[in-house]
Amino acid sequence: MNARASHTILAAAAVLVLVLIGVQAVDPVLYAAKNISTAAHADPATIQKRSPGDAASLVPLMDDLLGQTGTLALTIKLKDYESAERDLARYSELSRRFDRLVVTLDVSGTDIGEFQQNNRQNQDALTALLNDTRQFDALQRLEIEVRGDDEQHMTVVYEGEALRQKMRESFSAYAKREAATVRIAEHYDINATPYQESVDHFAEVADAANGWQEEINGNGTGPAQSPLVIAVTPVEGSYGDVLLIGGAHAGGRPGTPIDIYVDSRMAATAALDDGRAYVHPYQVGRILAGPHLAYATAGTIYSNVAAFEVLPQNTSITLALAEVNGTTVACTGNLTTDDARPVTQAPVLIRVDGDTLVAAETDGNGTYRKDIPLPAGEHALRAEFHAAGYPLNASESPTEIATLRGEGLSPFPFAAAIAAAAGTGWYLRRRRPEENTPAAEPEATPPPEAARPAPQVSIAGLPPREAATVLFCALRARLNLPKTKTPRDCARIAPAYAVFFERYERIRYAGETPSEEELMDMERIALGGDADRA
Amino acid sequence: MQIEREAWAVLLILLLAAAVAYAHVTTTTEEYSRYNTGWNGTSALPAEEVRDLRNLDTAATLLILAPDRPFTAEEVGYLRTFLDAGGRVVIADEQGAANSLLADLGSTMRVRPGNLSSLERDRADPGIFAARVVGNTSLFAGVGTVLVNRPAAVTGGEPLLETAALTWEDADGDGRISGDEVFGTAVTCAAEGNLTVLGDESLFINAMLAENPQFIENIQPVQVDRIHSGTGTANPIVNTRLWIQETPPAAAAVAALAILPVAWHFGRKRDD
Repeated sequence: MNARASHTILAAAAVLVLVLIGVQAVDPVLYAAKNISTAAHADPATIQKRSPGDAASLVPLMDDLLGQTGTLALTIKLKDYESAERDLARYSELSRRFDRLVVTLDVSGTDIGEFQQNNRQNQDALTALLNDTRQFDALQRLEIEVRGDDEQHMTVVYEGEALRQKMRESFSAYAKREAATVRIAEHYDINATPYQESVDHFAEVADAANGWQEEINGNGTGPAQSPLVIAVTPVEGSYGDVLLIGGAHAGGRPGTPIDIYVDSRMAATAALDDGRAYVHPYQVGRILAGPHLAYATAGTIYSNVAAFEVLPQNTSITLALAEVNGTTVACTGNLTTDDARPVTQAPVLIRVDGDTLVAAETDGNGTYRKDIPLPAGEHALRAEFHAAGYPLNASESPTEIATLRGEGLSPFPFAAAIAAAAGTGWYLRRRRPEENTPAAEPEATPPPEAARPAPQVSIAGLPPREAATVLFCALRARLNLPKTKTPRDCARIAPAYAVFFERYERIRYAGETPSEEELMDMERIALGGDADRA
Repeated sequence: MQIEREAWAVLLILLLAAAVAYAHVTTTTEEYSRYNTGWNGTSALPAEEVRDLRNLDTAATLLILAPDRPFTAEEVGYLRTFLDAGGRVVIADEQGAANSLLADLGSTMRVRPGNLSSLERDRADPGIFAARVVGNTSLFAGVGTVLVNRPAAVTGGEPLLETAALTWEDADGDGRISGDEVFGTAVTCAAEGNLTVLGDESLFINAMLAENPQFIENIQPVQVDRIHSGTGTANPIVNTRLWIQETPPAAAAVAALAILPVAWHFGRKRDD
C-alpha cells in the first residue's frame, strides 16, 4: 500500500472517529459517572452534597408545638388575654414553619403528616377558645348589668347558651385528638405532658361556661331556648357536597337578615322568608375534616349551635409531561376526589428530582399546568397535593421522567474553531514558500534595481551597535523590504547583501560590537555607495 | 541514528503497555477486595491479613469484614480464646451472614439486613448519613458522628452508634418514606465486651476511609481475617502470585526458572 493510500485511510478513520465522538458529545450521559453505586454502598465522592436543611429541627419543632398548646390553654384559662395573644401568635408561627418543613421533607404521608393535621385542628380550636372565652367574659359582665331588663337579659342568655354549646363541641373534638397525638409524640420521644395539660385546661374553661349557664338557668332568670333556631341538613358531607344551613326565627319579620357563622367565621347572610324561615346552601370547600359548628344571629339574638361533620375523602392527581423546547417541560394534570369531583383553586406542588418544589394551582376544572425550565438530562418529576386546610387526603402522582436535550451546542465554538483552522492554514501557506523556497522570494520583492534612493541617515555620535541598527533599517528601507523582516529574512530575500545582513545579525543578536571600519563599510553599503554591494 | 530513536520509542511504548497490562491483571473491581484500588475496594485500608485464627495478636483488632464463609466450630473456638485473652473482634456485616457466628459465640447481637435511610443528611443519597456515637468505647474515642453508607441495623448489645429519629428502613428502595415504612432511631453498631458488631461494611472501603479518619485510626492496628472476609479475590493471576509468595517451594521454583536460562547462557559462553 502506498503512502498516499495509507494517509487517506488514516484521515478517513480520524474523521469517522471525530464524527462518532461528536454525536456522543452532546449526550449528557457521557459526562455522568458510572459504577458509583452498589447495593451495599455508594461512592460518597460522586454523590452530590446538599444543605442538611432543617430535617434535624423537625422533631424539636413538634416538641415546641405541643409545649405551646399547654402554655396557650393555660393563659386562656387564667384569662390573661394579652399573654394568650402573644402565645397564639408564636404558636401560629411555629405551625407555619412546621407545615413548610413537612412539605419540603416530603413526609406528609407519615405519622408526622397525621401530627400536622391534628396540630392544624388544635390551632383552630385554641384560637376559637380564646375568642369564645373573651366573648364569654364580656357576656358575664353584661348579664349582671342587664338584670332587670328581661328582653336584654334574654338576649344575653341566648348568646351565652350558643357559646357554651360551641365550647363543649369544640372541646369534645380537641379531646378526641389526644390519643393519636400522644401516640405520635411518644414515638419520637417528645414530651406530651404540656399538650395533655392543655386538654385539661380546655375542659376547665368549657366546664366554667357550663357552670355559669346552669347558674343562670337555675335562677330562672331566662329560658335556654332561643327564638332563633338553626339546623344543618344533612349533618355530614364531603368536599363539594352542599349542606343546607337554615332554620326559623319566631320573633323575626320577613326580610330580616340572618347572619350565619361556621366555626365563628361569617359564612353567609340569608333573609327570612314569609314563613320566617331562612336557608343557606353551604358548599363544603376548603375546611378541615372533622366536626364543625354553625350558628346564626339576628341582630342581638343568637341561635342555638348546630354541629355538622365534614368527612375526609381521598384524592388523585395526575401528571403528564410534554417538552416545550430543549430546556423547558410542560407539566399538566388533574386533581380530583374519589368521586371524580374536580378540586378547584387548590395548590399543587411539583417535586423535581426529589428536592426542588415548584408551585402550581388548579383552575375551576381541577386542572393545572406549569412550564418548568430544567437543565439538560433526565429529571424525575412528581405532582403532589398536600391538602392543607382541605377535608381531603393528600395524594401524589406516579413519578414521570423528563429527558431534556438542552439548548444544543452553541455555534460560536465551532465558528471559532473553523476560523482558527482557516487562519492557521493561511499562515502556513504564506509561510511555506519562504521556508522551503528561499530562492524564489527575491522574485516577489522588488529587485535591487528598483530600490529607493538612498535615505539620508547619520550615525555620527551614536554608539556602534545603535549605529549598526540605524544602517540596517536604512538598507532594508532602501531595498524596499517590509519592516517585519528579520536580518536573516533580509539575507534570504536579498542574497546580494547577505554579508551585510549576516554581520548585522551577529551584532544584533550575538552582542558583538562593530569596529569603526566595519561601520564605515556598512554605511557605504546601506547608502548605496558600494557597487558590488557586499 | 533514526533507527535507534525509533527503537527507544518502541521500548518505551512496550514498557508502558506492560505496566498497564500488569496493573490490569493484578487488580480487580470486586467489592471489598484488597486488590481493588477503586472506590469500593479496600486496598487503601491499613491492615495486615491473617489466614490462621489460631495465634492472633491480641494487641491488634481482628476485623471480619463482609463475611461470606461459615466458621467451623474450631475457628469459633479460636475466636472465643482470642476474645477471652482480651483481643478485640470487630464484625462488619450488613447482610446478616455473621449472625450464625454471633450465635455460636454466645452473643445476643444480630445484624438485621436492610437499607437504612435518613432525612437528616447532607448528601443526595438518603443512605449516606451521620450516625451519633452513643456508647463509650475506645473505638469511637474522639468521634462525635460517623458517616455511614447504606448501613443495616444491629439489635442487642450495648448501642455504640445510633441514627437520628428521622431514619427508616427503605424496604422498597425508592429513597423516600412511603407505604408501611416508619421513622425511628436504629442502632448501627453495638458491642458486648470485646466483641463489636458494625452494621456497615462500607466504612472500610477506599472511598469511605477519608470520611471517618479518627475511627480508622482508633481501630489500628488491624488484622483482617482473610479466610472469611470478602476481602479476597477470584482473580486467578492475583491468587497465583499470592500462592507463590506464600509457598516457599513455589517461590524457589520460580526463582530457579528465572536464573536457569541466564546460567545456561553464561555456561555456553564459557564453553565457547
